[in-house]
Amino acid sequence: MAGGKQNKLSREEELLLQDFSRNVSTKSSALFYGNALIVSAIPMWLFWRIHQMDLYQSAIVFIIGTFISTYLVAYAYRNVKFILKHKIALKREDAVAKEIMKKLADDKKMTKKEKDERVLWKKNEVADYEATTFSIFYNNALYLVLLIVASFFLLKNFNPVVNYSFSVGSAAGLLALFSTSSKV
Amino acid sequence: MAATGKVLVILGLCLLPILTSADTCLAPQIKSQTYSTPEAIVSTETVLIAEFTLTCKNSLKNINLYADVGGRLIPATKTSEVNKYQISITDDHKKLPAGRYDVRVFDEEGFALLRKAQRSGESTDSIKPLFVLNLNHSGIWNGPIVQTEFVAALAAILIWWLAYTARSKLLA
Repeated sequence: MAGGKQNKLSREEELLLQDFSRNVSTKSSALFYGNALIVSAIPMWLFWRIHQMDLYQSAIVFIIGTFISTYLVAYAYRNVKFILKHKIALKREDAVAKEIMKKLADDKKMTKKEKDERVLWKKNEVADYEATTFSIFYNNALYLVLLIVASFFLLKNFNPVVNYSFSVGSAAGLLALFSTSSKV
Repeated sequence: MAATGKVLVILGLCLLPILTSADTCLAPQIKSQTYSTPEAIVSTETVLIAEFTLTCKNSLKNINLYADVGGRLIPATKTSEVNKYQISITDDHKKLPAGRYDVRVFDEEGFALLRKAQRSGESTDSIKPLFVLNLNHSGIWNGPIVQTEFVAALAAILIWWLAYTARSKLLA
């Protein structure tokens, strides 16, 4: 672009863009990876205590499985969050605007534009937080369903190592796949 | 007369071992242990085992014993220990229901009478066994009605369903 001016976005535009952006903040990224790691480590316990796999002998399989699963689960978290965030923002818009306006009603000095900016910022924050937490909840629930059904019913008669690899792989894989669906 | 007396004594001496071996166990004392299959998950059939040590007042050893358990006739197995016997029955779970089993133990003589009575179709109840052991079978456990993994799967599906409806509401 020739004009540097055109690239410069106003604060409002930046906030609006944030609403639609797929980027996640470092904080929310850390939250995603931390949660994904915890939820991906749960199958280790299941296969160790219930399916009687040896923790040390199968350590390599467990570590590889946990890491692949962590990556895929975090990917699903991000996708679901992105889909949800915009919808939540629309849903909470009125309530947030009302609250902010009420709070700023006495402030006569503030311009309308400034107030709108505040509303936009707050809305973004609320939607981001809600989408992040809900995405974690939803994906964890789905992951555990897929894992339990795969390991206890579908792959019941396989050897535990095969059972672990396929149930964790399919649970995380399907989770990632479902998360890409843009169907509303 | 003297010759006849001698012959009788000799005859008596010759018969003595035979008479003693055919002797019945007097005042039998029993120490017994029983076992019955507790559950059906890892067992395909129910097993009832009675193990006992027999002590006779006339110190008889290693006599042959037979048992009658609800009409089944089984020889008691002698174990490597002296006067220790074992009786075991194996059958389908349904054919050996929970309850008290009377193990009627007979010696050779009693067993012969029992077979005779059976052959002629008479009741065997009147034949007095050497002793009776009580075997209590408390029944078999068939495992939980609902499998644990089924409960886990159900709970997980329920939570996911709640999450899914909440998500649908948000996306609506």
